[in-house]
Amino acid sequence: MGATITYTELELVHGLQARDEKVFSYLYDHYSPALYGVALKIVTDEASAGDVLQEVFIKIWRNIDRYDATKGRLFTWMLNITRNTAIDSLRSKAHKLELKVQDVTSTSLMHEPQLAVHLPVDHLGLTKVLDGLPKDQRAIIDFAYFKGCTQEEIAKVLDIPLGTVKTRMRNAIIQLRILLKQL
Amino acid sequence: MDVQHYISSGILESYVFGLLSSPEQEEIESIASQYPEVKAAVDALQEDKAKFVKLFAVVPPVAIKDRMLDVLRHENTPNGHQLLPAELRTVAPVVNGKARNGKHTPVVKLQSPKKKRDHIWKYLAAAIVVLLLGSVFMNFFFYNRSTDYKSRYKSLIAAREKLEAEKAQQSLTSQPLVEKEPAILKDPAYRQFRLEGSGRFSNYVATVCWNPQTHMLFLIAQLMPVPPEGKQFQLWAVLNKKLVDAGVFESGAALAGKLQQMKPIADVQAFAITLEKTGGSTSPSLDQLCMATRPTK
Repeated sequence: MGATITYTELELVHGLQARDEKVFSYLYDHYSPALYGVALKIVTDEASAGDVLQEVFIKIWRNIDRYDATKGRLFTWMLNITRNTAIDSLRSKAHKLELKVQDVTSTSLMHEPQLAVHLPVDHLGLTKVLDGLPKDQRAIIDFAYFKGCTQEEIAKVLDIPLGTVKTRMRNAIIQLRILLKQL
Repeated sequence: MDVQHYISSGILESYVFGLLSSPEQEEIESIASQYPEVKAAVDALQEDKAKFVKLFAVVPPVAIKDRMLDVLRHENTPNGHQLLPAELRTVAPVVNGKARNGKHTPVVKLQSPKKKRDHIWKYLAAAIVVLLLGSVFMNFFFYNRSTDYKSRYKSLIAAREKLEAEKAQQSLTSQPLVEKEPAILKDPAYRQFRLEGSGRFSNYVATVCWNPQTHMLFLIAQLMPVPPEGKQFQLWAVLNKKLVDAGVFESGAALAGKLQQMKPIADVQAFAITLEKTGGSTSPSLDQLCMATRPTK
């Protein structure tokens, strides 16, 4: 089929708005691993992650007109949809605070058990980054981003004052940025 | 506003990594739109996050894409529209109550095409099972009925056979009445002799038919008892006061009408019957004389 077609984000957005199935297919092929990985990290089981992924792409297809390029990149928008959908799915499954806390405080969280089964695209990079993060920094990113915890919940779980949650988060991300640059 | 202080407060990191509530998020988006430095910081953080989450990337099962494309292709048909998550439907024509708080429904809804098909199969399977059970029942029912007919048929046959047997028995016993006078009795070629009992043998009647030309001799034991055990009646032809053996014969009610052939006799004047041992005797036991001819005609 000749040279591989590549689309810019703008072309992708226009293609989706024009209901171009080829563009959608391209979008799926290029972004589904990242979005599925996030869904899987949040809901932790493949069946639910698959359902989330499907819902995410249908939302993208249907709501592409709501995407505002001035607010951020297309990937960021898709990522937000994915995270929200996955966390909704997680919460709907009666994952109350207790469960959530129990889950995140268990040592298994620190070992990323599902990674052994679902080989990530960049396993080496992930290991480097996660190993490079101090435990409490890794935990705060986990709680906030992958578990959808509120600041109050994080303060309680990590046993830190509410006012320091944001600064802890900033420190964690600064460390993360350093690690990502080393990849 | 102290932009640097704002940027270093950690609120942007908290925003990008989903730690803030919706009002806080809106506030940051508003500030970012006003302050390019804030916007740049947020964009940089988004890039970091993108890089970070891409580390978790996993290729999803291939089937998901096909399933999804299928849903998208049918999204504009009424059916396809129903397959979409509730909150993604443009107009919700037949939304059921649940669809509004779509939080927990979407995932389920997406699977509904498959589930619908599953339901059809379930109903089909149920219908087939019901039909099968019905058929089994009918088989059983009709089998029972057929065996019922069979047994009734058999019993009817048996009844008929019994009736026929009875009829045959009857006709056998009634034969003497019907054939009271066998053809031979009317045959002018035969001379008839009627033998009657006397004393304790009175009421015994037998008829003998003799053909002078052919010498053929027949006997009908019309009214004679079954002889005692080991005994048999024997017929004697009387000629010139001499008794000539004419053979033994069977007797009894069953044989009352039967024409029994006896030994041929060349000439005869009268007949007599004695009770002899089974098989007959060469000379008559005259003390056992039961019946004798009364001259007729």
